[in-house]
Formats: sequence, structure tokens, C-alpha cells
Amino acid sequence: MRPWLDRTGHLSPLKAIVFAALFVPALWVAGAFALGALGGRPLHAALLQMGVWTVRLLFLTLIVTPLRQSLQWPRLISVRRMLGVATFAYAATHLTLYSADQSFNLAKVASEIISRIYLTIGFVALLGLATLAATSTDAMVRRLGARAWRRLHQLVYLIGVLAVTHFFLQSKADVGQPIIMAGLFAWLMFYRVLGKLFGKGGRVPLWAVTLLAPVASLLTALGEALYFWLKVGVSPLRVLDTDLSLIAGIRPAQVVLAITLAFVAICLLRLLAKPDAGWRQRWRQRLNPRPA
Amino acid sequence: MLIRKRQGWEIPESQATPEAVYHDRRRLLKAMGLGGIGIGALAAGLSAGFLTGAPAQAAAPPAPPADPSASLYPAKRDPRYTLDRAITPAAIVTTYNNFYEFGTEKDIYEAAQQLKLRPWSIAIDGMVEKPFTMAIDDLLHVMPLEERLYRHRCVEAWAIAVPWTGFPLKALVERAKPLSSATYVRLQTFLNPKEAPEQNQFWYPWPYTEGLTMAEATNELAFVATGLYGKPALPQNGAPIRLVVPWKYGFKSVKSIVRITFTNERPKTFWEVLGPTEYGFWANVNPTVPHPRWSQATERVLGADKRVPTVIYNGYGEYVAGLYKDIKGEKLFM
Repeated sequence: MRPWLDRTGHLSPLKAIVFAALFVPALWVAGAFALGALGGRPLHAALLQMGVWTVRLLFLTLIVTPLRQSLQWPRLISVRRMLGVATFAYAATHLTLYSADQSFNLAKVASEIISRIYLTIGFVALLGLATLAATSTDAMVRRLGARAWRRLHQLVYLIGVLAVTHFFLQSKADVGQPIIMAGLFAWLMFYRVLGKLFGKGGRVPLWAVTLLAPVASLLTALGEALYFWLKVGVSPLRVLDTDLSLIAGIRPAQVVLAITLAFVAICLLRLLAKPDAGWRQRWRQRLNPRPA
Repeated sequence: MLIRKRQGWEIPESQATPEAVYHDRRRLLKAMGLGGIGIGALAAGLSAGFLTGAPAQAAAPPAPPADPSASLYPAKRDPRYTLDRAITPAAIVTTYNNFYEFGTEKDIYEAAQQLKLRPWSIAIDGMVEKPFTMAIDDLLHVMPLEERLYRHRCVEAWAIAVPWTGFPLKALVERAKPLSSATYVRLQTFLNPKEAPEQNQFWYPWPYTEGLTMAEATNELAFVATGLYGKPALPQNGAPIRLVVPWKYGFKSVKSIVRITFTNERPKTFWEVLGPTEYGFWANVNPTVPHPRWSQATERVLGADKRVPTVIYNGYGEYVAGLYKDIKGEKLFM
């Protein structure tokens, strides 16, 4: 089945747009590489960029369910598979570029993966993604059975933890980006816990989603302050203080707050707008007119 | 997010325009016979040009003063220091830099232009006969400037080869007249969050601090660079004055120095505080001692699209191996 068609074989604009968008980061990196715009170590820069995008795509894959539930937009599920497969493709490219940076000395690549714990973690995460990608087809769902398939694919949460850990451990001194991703990942996990506790069909009530945004941000701030306290011994209160201003640049807790509040805003808009349920169907009919 | 990164040959507007203004100012002043009159005349000249419809760029903000030491460069090359590889293109060395005061990525060269290079002075203190402070231009005029070709090996497993201009650290140590009780030299970078915004992130142990033993500091290879590629140094390369110790990982070669202290206590260095299990005081290059997170066996040669084996002491063993032969129980290669 072509990725831009829905299950009835019609063109799905949603799927087509998402499918095309998934190529954009990779093409951007490739273009920058070709133009010599990636600095003195272009392979290294490209492999880092692809790694960062792998984690971002994993986040997007995992936010499909919260979005689908909160927006009452069941069709959104149709893009989750391609998001997940793209996550794997980016991760595989990330490792390929790492090998290229090691001049394709595969023995060296293997020994590095074994002897550096953050590489071991990243590699295990990649193996996990490969397993999920390989079992992502309809045929595999049928073969495994829905229940076993779902259990297997719950591995994605563990992969998320491994991926963020790998991201965090490879940082030299600036842990801002991995801390943001850790905060967002925590938010995704809390959303699912709240869904189990208060949800109707997994859907978390708006008050809980609203409350979750500052909680995730605060946890991000506390995590970061704790990290710097343990690492360099600076007062956690002083670090937390910078989260209330922009004096030390945009802080991870602020980014997490902005993204999670944006989610709340989308939910609110959805509640207020309540679009006419028929518009999508009419649009689809226009795109795929049935022969008279 | 992806941001388009400018290449070395593409001069940022912030640099190009002021230079044009600078030259234009001279021409204007000369034409008006006002050479030597100060800023007021300059401002009048510029605004007059603006009012009479001169090109818009003439009204751009005044240029930073030209480097007053420019006439000292290029200095004569010292033929004793040769390379086993090509000199790295200047476009790479001036755009691919670690300088955490200006950002944690490598493309900090634009942000680094905020660093004001004059007035600049260096304080010499601690265990010396008499502490003193010296303006950079006074220092440059009394020091024996020469050019040396050195390999530079970053702890991140990449390498460049640079023509540095400067003088042996030994010459500065002799001028400082340290007491015989001094066993270490501590070198520190400026502290000015207004120009270097990352210094607002106070959890880094600013100011950047590095150190050498007295024996290392007086080794002939230990160099103080004030220029590179036959010109005064640019901010991103540690202008106006920096250390270059090519047998050690790059982070030892502290940039933009304002203070040199002689002491009998081993300095606690910036990276030692941040990552005591990864970056030590000695940090001598050694391909057989991996960084905890990556191998140091090979290095990527910037600009050459290849990876080559790393050599112990970055190939400078004949100069420096003797410094360490009697030192026991120290992590010399971390």
C-alpha cells in the first residue's frame, strides 16, 4: 500500500503531507552537507543532526495517541506507522553516518559500540526500532495477533528511555537538548498514566492536561537543577531562578512548558471550534470523485 | 532546528560593512584635510556624507578600530617546527571553534565578534617578584614574535595544522620573574557576560582556567599566540592572546587570556571541574588511552577528508617526553 493512500485506496491529504514532511529534515541535512554548510566536520555534524531528528520523530510518533484522543481525530492514527518507520530510518541513517565518520572501519565501529556504554545503549535502541519497523506491516500484525503485536510494540516506551539516555550521555557539557527531550518524554508517559486513571477511552480530561503542562516543566527544571548540583555543585535554587527569566538564554523548562501548553491550546481550540463533522468527508469526495 | 551555516569565505555583513566604512572614513578625512581630528569630525563627515546622498553604507555604525598590532604581522617563520601534513585552510580554522563563552556549538565565530580586543591587558601575579599588569600592545612590542607551524589535536578526535604567530611562553615567564617556590602557572580567560553571553550560565566554572607545571611552561614548545595565518588573531581563535601547547589536547590551550598567576597549588581547570573523569590536568595526547566515551586512536584531519592515526604527544615526544619521565602515579594522558 502506498503511504499516501488510505485503507480504501483513496488519496489521503493528511498522509501525503506527513509522508512528504518526513523527508524534509533529512533533505535539509543532505543539502547542507552538499553545500558544505555543516562546518569543519560535516559527517560528524550530519550524524548528530540525524540523531537529534530521530529523537524528535520518536516524540512525534508517541504524541499521535494523545493528539488523536484529545482532538477526537481518530484518523490521525493513520500516520503513526509511517512516523515510527521514519524514526527507524533516521536512526539507521544516524548509525550509517557514524560508520562513515569512522571511515567504514566496521571492526572499529563494533568495538566502539561494545566498549562505550552510551553507544551500547543507542545500539540497543536501534535494534528495538528495527524490530518494531520489521513488524509494522499489516501481514505481521495478522501473524502475531493483535494482542501480541501490541505487547511487542509497547517496547517503544523502553526505546524512548534508551534513546533519551543515549542522547544525554553523549553530550559534552551542554545537556539542554537532551533535558528538553527527557521532559517531553516524561510528559508523554504521564499523559498515559492520567489516561488510565481519569480517562474516558484513554482520553485525558482538559483540566488534567492543563495541570500536566506546568508539572512537566517543573520536573524538567528540577531534573536540570539536580544534574548541575550533582555535577558541578552549584546551588539548585540559583539554577531554578534562571528558569524564571531569559538571562541565561531560553531554558529547557521553558521549552517544555511552551510545547505542552501548545498542546493544551490545541485541545482548547478543538473544544471551542467543534468543526462540522461533515467537512472532511466532503473534502475527500472532492479529491476522490467517484465515477458517476 | 536547522540553521544555515555560513562558510568561511562568506564574510558576515557585520564584519564587511564596518571595514568599508573604516576605509571610507580615511578617504573622507583626508579629502577634507581633517586628518588627526577626533571622533567629532568623523561623525560630521559621516553625517555630511549621508545628507549629501552618499551610499547608504557610509551611514553604518562606526567601525571597530583596526588592530593596532597589524603592522607586526607576518612575523618570520621559525624553520625548526615543521608539519607532517598540509596547513589547514584558514576558512576552516576561523569558523570551526570551541569557545564555550560564546556558545556550545562549533559555529561561534559570529557571536565571538562581540569580544572587544582593545583595551586589553594581562595581569601577572601570584608568586612573582613584583606583580604587574601590561597592555597587550606594550607586551607585543617587547616580545620576540615569530611564526610556528603546529599541529593541534582536539580531545574530540579532530585535528588542524595552524601557522601561529607569537612568542615562547618561556619569554613571558622570564619577564614575570617568578619566585623559586612557584611550581605551577595558572592562565585565565576574561570574565564578561555582556560580551560573552554564555557566561550567564553560571553553572559552568567561569572564567575558563587552565594550568601548566613550571617545567611545561618553560619548555620551548609552549607558545603564546597572538596571531595566525600571518595576521592578528580573530576573537574566535582566542584573540588577542592565547596559549598553544600542541602536545596536549586542545582544551589546554586557553584562549583570550587576561591573567597569569604563578602558584604552588595545582590549578583546578575548567574541564576538570565539569568532567573530572573525562578531562584531567595533564591531558597529554596519547592514542592508546581512550577518552571514556570515544577512542583517541585516530583523528579526523579537517579540510582533508581523511582520518589518520594519532601519535603520542601529538608527535612532539622529542620535545616533551622528558618532562614526564620521573612523574609517577599521575594520569598523564587524561
